[in-house]
Amino acid sequence: MDKIDREKLAERALQLAGAGEHEVLVTDADDALTRFTQNAIHQNVAHCETTIRVRTVSDGRTGVAATNVLDEAALREVVQRAGTIAEFAPRDAAFPGLPAGGPTHAPPNAFVAATAAATPDLRAKLAAEVFAVAENDRLWAAGFVKTSRESITIANSRGTLASFDGTDAGMNVKQNGASSTGFAERYSSGVGDLDARRVAKIAAGKVRRSTEPQAVDPGEWTVILEPAAFGELLSYLTDHFSAQAYDEGSSFLSEGLDRSYVAENVSIRDDYTHLLAPGMPFDFEGVPKQRVSLIENGVAKHVVTDSYWAAKLARPDTGHALPAPNAYGPLPLNVVVEPGVKPVEQLIAETKRGLLVSRFWYVRPVDLRQTIVTGMTRDGTFLIDNGKIAGGVRNLRFNQSIIAALAQVEFGSELARSASYSYANVVPAAKLERFRFTSLTDF
Amino acid sequence: MRFNSPAQRALDTACARGATYADVRFEDGRSERIEVRNGVVVTLSDNRSVGYGIRAFHDGAWGFAANDDVSEAGIDATAARAVAIAKAGAAIAKRRFAEAPADKFIDRYETPIERAPSDVPLGERVALLLSAEQALHATSRITVGRAWIDLWSIEKEFHSTTGSKIAQKLYQTGSGIAALAVGEHDAQERTFPGDIGLYQGGGWEIVAAARLDENAARIGEEADRLLDAPQCPSGEMDVILGGSQVSLQIHESCGHAAELDRIMGWEANFSGTSFLDPKLLGALQYGSKNVTIVIDNTLPRGLATVGYDDEGSKSVRSDIIRDGVLVGFEMSRDTARTIGRETNACVRAQSWRHVPMIRMCNLNLLPGDRPFEALFEDVKRGIYMESNRSWSIDDRRLNFQFGCQIGWEIVDGRRGRMLKNPTYAGVTPQFWNACDAVADERSWLAWGTPNCGKGEPMQTGRTAQAAAPARFRNVRVGVGYNG
Repeated sequence: MDKIDREKLAERALQLAGAGEHEVLVTDADDALTRFTQNAIHQNVAHCETTIRVRTVSDGRTGVAATNVLDEAALREVVQRAGTIAEFAPRDAAFPGLPAGGPTHAPPNAFVAATAAATPDLRAKLAAEVFAVAENDRLWAAGFVKTSRESITIANSRGTLASFDGTDAGMNVKQNGASSTGFAERYSSGVGDLDARRVAKIAAGKVRRSTEPQAVDPGEWTVILEPAAFGELLSYLTDHFSAQAYDEGSSFLSEGLDRSYVAENVSIRDDYTHLLAPGMPFDFEGVPKQRVSLIENGVAKHVVTDSYWAAKLARPDTGHALPAPNAYGPLPLNVVVEPGVKPVEQLIAETKRGLLVSRFWYVRPVDLRQTIVTGMTRDGTFLIDNGKIAGGVRNLRFNQSIIAALAQVEFGSELARSASYSYANVVPAAKLERFRFTSLTDF
Repeated sequence: MRFNSPAQRALDTACARGATYADVRFEDGRSERIEVRNGVVVTLSDNRSVGYGIRAFHDGAWGFAANDDVSEAGIDATAARAVAIAKAGAAIAKRRFAEAPADKFIDRYETPIERAPSDVPLGERVALLLSAEQALHATSRITVGRAWIDLWSIEKEFHSTTGSKIAQKLYQTGSGIAALAVGEHDAQERTFPGDIGLYQGGGWEIVAAARLDENAARIGEEADRLLDAPQCPSGEMDVILGGSQVSLQIHESCGHAAELDRIMGWEANFSGTSFLDPKLLGALQYGSKNVTIVIDNTLPRGLATVGYDDEGSKSVRSDIIRDGVLVGFEMSRDTARTIGRETNACVRAQSWRHVPMIRMCNLNLLPGDRPFEALFEDVKRGIYMESNRSWSIDDRRLNFQFGCQIGWEIVDGRRGRMLKNPTYAGVTPQFWNACDAVADERSWLAWGTPNCGKGEPMQTGRTAQAAAPARFRNVRVGVGYNG
């Protein structure tokens, strides 16, 4: 559904809702993913859908209803349901009213037509390039190639009307050998940027270099986390930058802003305009998204807000609302870490003894306020000895405070987009000291 | 059946385009959620989703396409897309799936419910949560109280080119409460029931069974007391796990490990593989003789209880671990065939949008022979832990670490002082072989897990692991904090 039709649909729903405060969110998505294992496609899927979500607010009472049935009767029904639900909600005296939007500009590379038009044959071709590299190296590859288009329109009774079309493409490859595995990934809004052969070769190289991985002792290690590993670690910090977590005491920032928490060379921002991960220029209330400095030179500067938390804490609305209803509060969804000046090869060369980590797995919080998380290394963990890669090591479990790890850090000079199902961010490689591993596996 | 005509059109179109087998799943789902947070109803929503997913089989390859456009043109385009996807896969396939299934079922199934959630007025539902949430604020250090109800109902129809026509109406319900206490440099959370609430198959009776109101004050007080409780010690000692934690332990270290698609490498790049292998069937001593774990997708109140799975196979009961020995896997038709077995109907899709895949469904640890209290009797030094707060396991399902919300010291058979931040770690077979007692059916409950992540695109599955509290000897405790 194109922008004009989405806006017509939203306006029709607002019309049906009549007087009062209403917000309409229309999303239209078409996504496809080709998944492979053992050098063959085994799951190959596509999905398209249009949904409409109506938020009605009456005297501080909020109701939300949604449907993907879009005929006139269904539109009337969903509008009515939102209104009925609102009648039963207790009044929230802190509700500030729906926000007014404002002009927004999407990043220039947010929508790439070739990605929106990608076919299953194109995805299969990219997968076949991965298989060729794997077979040449007598490995088997598992992974995916995906392409998607997501379009959104938000309108409300205060005159907000915002629309965005975005695309995304990505692939990840795990190459598997007899005794070791290797991982690489690539994401871009343009499917043409997916160099399948290059991604497959990076992963295959890790398999070769980590053959017959050796055991090392758990304990405190200097680690160099590649962007995929550091990006995942960082994703467990982003919730802390929510005004809700900050106010309610579950964030490490609840100790206070304008304080130094990490090393001076750490600067983290939320930036939807970054070319590696161009995002929506407004939030799910239609409010223009601000580029927000979260940590600047080690000092916590800001938390992100939506209209509710901005009013509640008397802070500016930074445009970071999630779709209503939202019990999680505002969140930064476009986190970018300022890179350093040294290439990762130099960080390795300057490391006397340490571990190079390709990827983490199953990271989970252990302690909220201390930002302790646990997780495993996976798919390419290497010993660094006297500045050189000295072979693969078996996988290890870590228990580590993220904030404590960032107290002494050097960042690589190259940024990459890292992503999984619950996050996407733009990060460099990171060299961290005294990273605490607590146990070892036998693989 | 409601979707008979569009289903037939989808199957005919798929065959005309070149599919040698096709099935289509129509779903009309409703999800309602109410969540109260600090006296404010932050979520009061009602979502309806209607759509269908078509699987097409062509020349040894599968294609899947899903759409919410139920017009004839939409169905034709989606069926054609599913076949085109299958053909794109077939064009580069060097290995092919075996020919598709021949089963045929014509049947109906409906979740038994005692009280339809729709019979409970919205005002009554909201009032229950407001009351329970208010009671959580037992002290001023409770900064966040939460209470929630999820009501899910779904009508689904499965039609296949082999003639299956299966209509199901499923009800799933959950509710819970949580209190966050914040002190100086510390935050402690307690949830109830278990770590995520009580989620089961059924109607409003599941909300009533959770007894949120009568437990809320205790949960708030426990969260507050945890701020002042001593840290859980580190070392090797006996551990008794509460029922919901045993449920999660089954889920992570047995359920996922025994998924045959993982064992075959289908999840290698994301959820991972498994330390298990078909050669280990009948040979691996997975746990002690106290450990018998079964798939039972007919379990009353099981969150994953259905009449048929999402590739049209009838629900059965089958053993996975019998008296400690590995004897089975969770299987689909495709995967079961590769090891010479029949499917045990463990295939589910999150919704019409998603391709069906293997899920652990209801995976239950059978109850033991003694009351819960008797588990404490011969523990000289140990920890009793309840309600998960952190879970992590490696991508072969061997090395795990779990943290719980609350613990109690056990000294000479008696439960003593409260402990905060309890964690434990282990390796799957060693841990289950250290299980020397499981409590009996009086504390056995079908704990639901409504948020199981697997697959790409990621799907959130609803599984259950019925369990009772259990005792494990010589476990590594306290690792999350002190190593």
